[in-house]
Amino acid sequence: MFGNRNFVVAVVLIVALALAVLPTAAQEGEAVELTLMGWSSSSAENDRLQQMIDDFNSEYEGQIHVTLNLVPEYDTTLQTALAGGEPPDVFYVDSFRLPDYVEAGALMPGEDLIEEPDDFYPSLRQAFTYDGVFYCPPKDFSTLALFYNVDMFEEAGLEPPQTWDEMRAAAEALTDEDAGVYGLVLSADFARWIAFLYAAGGSVTDEDFTEMTINSPEALEALEFYTGLYLDGFAATPSELDSGWNGEAFGKGLAAMAVEGNWMVPFLADNFPDVNYGVVELPEGPAGRATMAFTVCYAVPAEAAHPDESWTLVNWLTGPEGMAQWVSLGLAMPTRQSLRDQWLEQFPELEPFLNGAEYAHKWQFIPGFQDVLDTVNDNIQRIFAGTQTPEDALAEIEEVGNEVLERYQAERAEE
Amino acid sequence: MIQFFGRSYDREDLIAGVLFILPAALIFLIFLVIPIVFAVAISFTDWNGISPPSEANGVGLANYEALLTQPGIRQSDFFKALKNTVYYVIGVVPTQTALALLLAVIVNQRWLKAKGFFRTAFYFPSITSSVVISLIFMWLFTRGGLINYLIGRIFPGYNPVNWLDDPTGLIHNILGLLGVTLRSAPDWVRTKVLGLTIWDWISGPSTTMISIMLLNIWTTSGTMMVIFLAALQDIPRHLYEAAYVDGATGWRAFWSITLPMLRPTIFFVVTIGMIGCFQVFDQIFVISSGGPAKTTLTIAWMVYRNGFMNSDMGLAAATAFVLFIIIFSLTLLQRRLIGERMQI
Repeated sequence: MFGNRNFVVAVVLIVALALAVLPTAAQEGEAVELTLMGWSSSSAENDRLQQMIDDFNSEYEGQIHVTLNLVPEYDTTLQTALAGGEPPDVFYVDSFRLPDYVEAGALMPGEDLIEEPDDFYPSLRQAFTYDGVFYCPPKDFSTLALFYNVDMFEEAGLEPPQTWDEMRAAAEALTDEDAGVYGLVLSADFARWIAFLYAAGGSVTDEDFTEMTINSPEALEALEFYTGLYLDGFAATPSELDSGWNGEAFGKGLAAMAVEGNWMVPFLADNFPDVNYGVVELPEGPAGRATMAFTVCYAVPAEAAHPDESWTLVNWLTGPEGMAQWVSLGLAMPTRQSLRDQWLEQFPELEPFLNGAEYAHKWQFIPGFQDVLDTVNDNIQRIFAGTQTPEDALAEIEEVGNEVLERYQAERAEE
Repeated sequence: MIQFFGRSYDREDLIAGVLFILPAALIFLIFLVIPIVFAVAISFTDWNGISPPSEANGVGLANYEALLTQPGIRQSDFFKALKNTVYYVIGVVPTQTALALLLAVIVNQRWLKAKGFFRTAFYFPSITSSVVISLIFMWLFTRGGLINYLIGRIFPGYNPVNWLDDPTGLIHNILGLLGVTLRSAPDWVRTKVLGLTIWDWISGPSTTMISIMLLNIWTTSGTMMVIFLAALQDIPRHLYEAAYVDGATGWRAFWSITLPMLRPTIFFVVTIGMIGCFQVFDQIFVISSGGPAKTTLTIAWMVYRNGFMNSDMGLAAATAFVLFIIIFSLTLLQRRLIGERMQI
């Protein structure tokens, strides 16, 4: 079929091709190469982070060189990299996902490596503490607060609500169904309702995740209040207001109030610059104020190739100076209490969000809790649709939750 | 001469043959066979998907039991997903097949002007990214979107349906019109079978699921149409001529010649349609993430959720494997039903 010479040539060509596609080891300079992996957010934030990385690189010229890698579909990419044994040197971890990564042994404890840990807000330090160990310093955070449309409130002669009763009264007064305007835009979402659950004095589970505590009179009060706003017609879901999420409905002026986080501020500035809005802390419930903190940290993998350099980078980014630079855009809030006053001078209108850090709860459970979250969302959605009652919903959530907690405790006992 | 798989070959022919199939065989092996074997192995472990797989512990059949036999949230979620997926398949596959056949017959007519335009137009959705199409559909189907606007123009006084956020099931709604609700229904509908009450089993697809079904029908019929079109043009002309000589009408020729001649194609179209439907994922990912009220939770979405959101890759692999078995058995069954007298 072919002569021997042709055959040799073919083999040589194939080998040459194979070698060409193999990665070649880079041996330029002696700087330690690090990769920082995160997800992409607004372009302003991405640019600022890149700029900080550039500053870091010039400060550590010849010693450390960092490459920023912002990926879409972050969780799947990170999970694959970790399971493949080649994790990035530093990466984002959302407080919600922390238990999964810790239980999988993927993170290096930062306990004695993080600089000035006591300066971080206790609620945020808590969000990255698991089984008593502080893993990674929070890079920034967001809390929930109440956005209100100043024009609508003034026209109705109302003050922004401070309590649940005032909130309900305002929602009722500002609803004009014929005009298609509602007092409140409310999503059937656990991540919003849970702030009301805490404000009513309720809780989801006990401290040690041994059993559910959600089937309580306090939780029922919170659930009846939240879903009641919708069922009584003072609130509408974003989709009913032709919107993808609360922020869009509020921006379009179809709702007078919205429970959202500070990420909505740049969104409104970009998309609805004419909306005259104000922000107050979430209204006080029967047991006082409560909000949720959503936060992300810079973590170093357990099997870090260059642990010292990685922690140098993390501490540089979250240290007082790096943090001050990072939050100077006003898109992110400082997690260090020492930066509070300086930051508020620059962004006084964002004070309600920052105040939330004092009494915020962490958005974090245990590995496998997604089943419970989905069940809560499912039940709130069914209450909204009129096919479920708050009492039955809490009983169902309790049952599913206890099943998940029991499994979790059994797995821990085995280890 | 060399013996290879029981046949003898000339040595050079054999080397050349093996070299020719090597690239394809390697790709097949690395990207298909090995992952499948790996996935099956994973399904017998408690791998969390984060730590190296070698650290996972074997759990025997526990993942399969959790899905299929052990009462609990994982079982009821699995059967909810199975129910939703089956409604989806029942709604989409026959509709898209019939629509594709209709379109193929139309664009195959000799009197049709601008054939090229229609063929391209009908095929166009198939080559567009499903994510883009999903986003466009979300736009069309919002409460104040074009779909509701058009319905409102045709039927004044129409109360807009919130297509993308309505968990009520079709059959429940029909029963509701007849005055049957969960409250008025007899007690036996509350009996739980495989984690779901009978009332839940007979819900029918939710309004949101119906929107996603319409989307999928619209997207895939183009591909199916092209397949039918190729098959239609393969039917020998003389069969029709003979039939017309015998006095057959066009309608009669369609039933007695076109359809029987298309039998292998229908089998093919129904099979790939069914496989695609059982694996519906991107549209769910973009539009509804399984909601509202878990009515668009499908098996493929559940695999993703368990593997990447719930740190339970073992359970996800088991779910995927059960899905494979369901698809495989249905394909075999279908081969029996449609393919009996057919030769591929």
